[in-house]
Amino acid sequence: MLSALSRKSTSDLSRRRSRTFFAILTLALAVASIGIFAMPSLMNRSMQAEVRAGKLPDLTVFVNPVELDGAQLAALSGVPNVRAVEPRSRFDGRVYIGARRAPASVVGVPQFGLQRADVVHVASGRAPGPGEVLTDLQNANQGLLSVGARDSVRMIAANGSVRQLHVVGEGRNLNGGQDVTGDDVVVLYAGAGTVASLSGVRGYESLAFRLADTRPAAVDATIVRLRTALTAVPGFRGFRWMPEVRAAGDWPGKSDFDNFSKFFYVITALAILSAFVLIANTLSTLVAEQTSEIGTMKAIGARRRQLAAVYVKTAMLLGALATVFGIALGIVLSNVAVRFFGSTFFAIDVAFGVDWRVLLVSVLVGVLGPAVAALPAIRRATRVPLREALEASGSAVGSQDAGDALLRRVWFLPRTAQIGLRNVGRRRRRSLATALIIALAVGNLLAVLGLAAAVTDVTHANWRDHGEDVKITTPSERPLGARGERLLRTTPGVASVEPMFDAAVTVAGQDGFVWALRQNTMFRHHVTDGRWYTPAEERAHARVAVAERSIARATGAQVGDRIQLETATGPIPFRVIGIASNLQDSGTVLFAPLATMHAVLRGTPSNANDYWVRTSSSEHAFVDRTTTLIEDRLTAAGYEVGTEIEYVGEADNVASNRTITTSIAVLGLLIVAISLVGLANALTMSVIERTREIGILRTIGARGRDVRRIFAAEAVTLAFAGWLLGIPIGYLLDRGLVWLMKEVVNIDVPFAFPLSNVALALAGSVLLALIVTLLPIRRAVRYRPGKALRYA
Amino acid sequence: MATVVAERERVVEEARAPLIELAAVEKVYRMGRLDYHALRGIDLTIGEGELVAIVGPSGSGKTTILNLVTGIDRPTAGTVAVGGRRIDAMSEEELAVWRGEHVGVVFQFFQLLPTLSALENAALPLDFARRCSKRERFERARHNLALVGLGDKTEHLPAELSGGEQQRVAIARALAADPELVVGDEPTGNLDTVTAAEMFELLERLNDEGKTIVYVTHDRELAQRAERIVSIRDGLVVAA
Repeated sequence: MLSALSRKSTSDLSRRRSRTFFAILTLALAVASIGIFAMPSLMNRSMQAEVRAGKLPDLTVFVNPVELDGAQLAALSGVPNVRAVEPRSRFDGRVYIGARRAPASVVGVPQFGLQRADVVHVASGRAPGPGEVLTDLQNANQGLLSVGARDSVRMIAANGSVRQLHVVGEGRNLNGGQDVTGDDVVVLYAGAGTVASLSGVRGYESLAFRLADTRPAAVDATIVRLRTALTAVPGFRGFRWMPEVRAAGDWPGKSDFDNFSKFFYVITALAILSAFVLIANTLSTLVAEQTSEIGTMKAIGARRRQLAAVYVKTAMLLGALATVFGIALGIVLSNVAVRFFGSTFFAIDVAFGVDWRVLLVSVLVGVLGPAVAALPAIRRATRVPLREALEASGSAVGSQDAGDALLRRVWFLPRTAQIGLRNVGRRRRRSLATALIIALAVGNLLAVLGLAAAVTDVTHANWRDHGEDVKITTPSERPLGARGERLLRTTPGVASVEPMFDAAVTVAGQDGFVWALRQNTMFRHHVTDGRWYTPAEERAHARVAVAERSIARATGAQVGDRIQLETATGPIPFRVIGIASNLQDSGTVLFAPLATMHAVLRGTPSNANDYWVRTSSSEHAFVDRTTTLIEDRLTAAGYEVGTEIEYVGEADNVASNRTITTSIAVLGLLIVAISLVGLANALTMSVIERTREIGILRTIGARGRDVRRIFAAEAVTLAFAGWLLGIPIGYLLDRGLVWLMKEVVNIDVPFAFPLSNVALALAGSVLLALIVTLLPIRRAVRYRPGKALRYA
Repeated sequence: MATVVAERERVVEEARAPLIELAAVEKVYRMGRLDYHALRGIDLTIGEGELVAIVGPSGSGKTTILNLVTGIDRPTAGTVAVGGRRIDAMSEEELAVWRGEHVGVVFQFFQLLPTLSALENAALPLDFARRCSKRERFERARHNLALVGLGDKTEHLPAELSGGEQQRVAIARALAADPELVVGDEPTGNLDTVTAAEMFELLERLNDEGKTIVYVTHDRELAQRAERIVSIRDGLVVAA
């Protein structure tokens, strides 16, 4: 049997059903948003399962093609600490996508049925036989190549011939998928024989190892032993690149996903904040409304503590109900989000999961949060002097302070709109809280949209800096030379050609690139400080460089400073003569004269191995045709070339950036949802509180549309105030996100806060406010005056 | 005072056209699971220009009659006609417009809008009725406020006025559209004796000008000052 006081805690909830509903909805959304924090752990759990299932290698060694027989492979797996070895061959070439050609890699798997590491799963169809391939799931996911079983792909082999490869199904491999996502390369899987027939080279190019002990020292020792073992293999022609070590617990794309999650945390924190403002608001209304009842209870002997207990219990009860829905919603939300990211970026099916720690936090926040949020209101209500409390009507009256005087000075509106406007001033605290919730939503939207605009701007701007339509690449050991370059220049459709090359360097511990360019390059550099190099400096092979802003800032380099470039051939001193605002390779590029770089990088070819080509027309079909012609002519002349078409690269880049910003924006909608609930809540309260007033208005001749206009004016005023408050919040948040981009993701995005978005947010918030308040306003209009007047 | 009473008695003797006609009116309120019979079939006619007091114990149905006469509530059975129009058959919107033009209501607790000044409150019905220009509305409201003796407090908010003053604003508001019928639900119930007497004199004066006044009261003395007393008990008219 419940005591009378406990009974009151529960019965108060059923008294104002619509308010209880809104309070639970708000709390549930707040609790659900905590679920976002489970995303990294859910993703990690699924990826770890994938790592196990895919036998992801702990160590990968890259070699120049070498043939290894069964016994030699067995010897390698006998090396101490090695649990398994899996050899791979690879052919990097081009496939036809319509008339266009795109870079593609075919990974050779010796035996699909017996893969000891770096497993290529057959996701659909069957393992490929000779002349057959599997297409990586990500090819279609990333929009690079959409083919299914029974389709075929045309690929250009190393000898220039076009081979028809039959697609027999879809493949899935963590590393391959990341090549597609990160490098926009079409990845196909085939038998080792198919790869050999494409490349004309027999042998493996990489060896994937699973190790027993993955601690750094053990891995290093294993690398030494493997080097020795491999060097002893007859026909071994050396290592191609540095070995790749996977840290324990790491998976391809993990750091990107973790960085990405940090943006989500910011948005989630905002969502929780706005939910709490709303909860405090709701509970404060609930308590304030009962001031006269509190007075009655005090009059018959209730102590403050007992009264507080009643409302704390009510708040906790609300919280408990909301937590049930919120947790369910949060689990769904986090799983849907992780599933989306898993399939989009990693082509994996994320298993349904629950993070118990996040669940526990959700329960604590959901049940205790409302009680804490209610405390200030309870304190206020229980301290109201008894006589005042007994006389409280629950409906605040107008006052005469500066704020009200200001609202009363708005004379030009119709009377009904004026009443609505002045009503905003009646419940100051609640109006402010509602405006704040709207402001958080507006601010969040402005920030996310600003960031998205900045990212898109910077992407387009980066590509605009490129003067070329196509980039031709050649392997460093087989450059074009004078004959090839002539062939390139004389290809019909080619307007101009500029040789260039880039090389990875380190400056003061920072990774970056040197772009070796001619003085009169077609690249559009934007020097903001100092200057570009002169023809004289180029002729004299002067060691001068123009640094992009990010790397200059990271290394502390200024115009006039001397810096050491750590290159493949050793350290070289350079003088910084300019700072450029370009953002190539995330702002980590140093531009240096082509002639100088040839001179200082001994051993590099006498000519550049990359060429920028401008075509006579930038029309896409023309660029495609010219590119195909260039490839055909050079391949026929015995050159191995790759091509990158600028407009295709730009579109891919913009699309992948958009996926990221859209994902952040979609999560931001959670805050918008909370703010809409907040507005609906505030307006519903307003209608409930003023029911008697509506009756009086009806009695003195107010029509439905008059009542409607009063409440619509109130909603629009709140939305406007929220929008106004939201602008500085959005501005600061946008700055914060840009900072986060630079510090965490290492992408230097210029700040953008388009005014068009600010205007759009105003229209959006006013429109949404009017839509959200349709229901409470309908309720207000529908009240029969008699019923409204009897309402207590 | 004596002359006023004598004049009124003379008017009573003349035959009057009916303004309000209630025929076989029943009103049932549903209260939770129970039906509460507020009116059990009453017939009542009030003539133009009458000053009528409705009396009866608590819960007898007095206020229900006023609510039916003003269209605030609808009868469960029977008909209600005012000025020859069946108001029980009108829609809510029609009723709102009709009230704005033909009826002034004065409540016990004044019921002014707290955020509007005395002048704005008194002009509000004209705003709803969209009658005349804005300037004229304020002029009329100002005239009515002067009539009730509040010409100097037009810019005050209700919270800055005494109970009596608030009720005067309420009366000025009721007079805004110059209605032929003014009803009061305990119009002096929340006022001290002196203020109540002043208020009542105001109503009498309006009656003298030809307006029909119907009011509900608990105050025996106040009831006696009406030219006609309608007595209600248990939802039935016991004396009219």
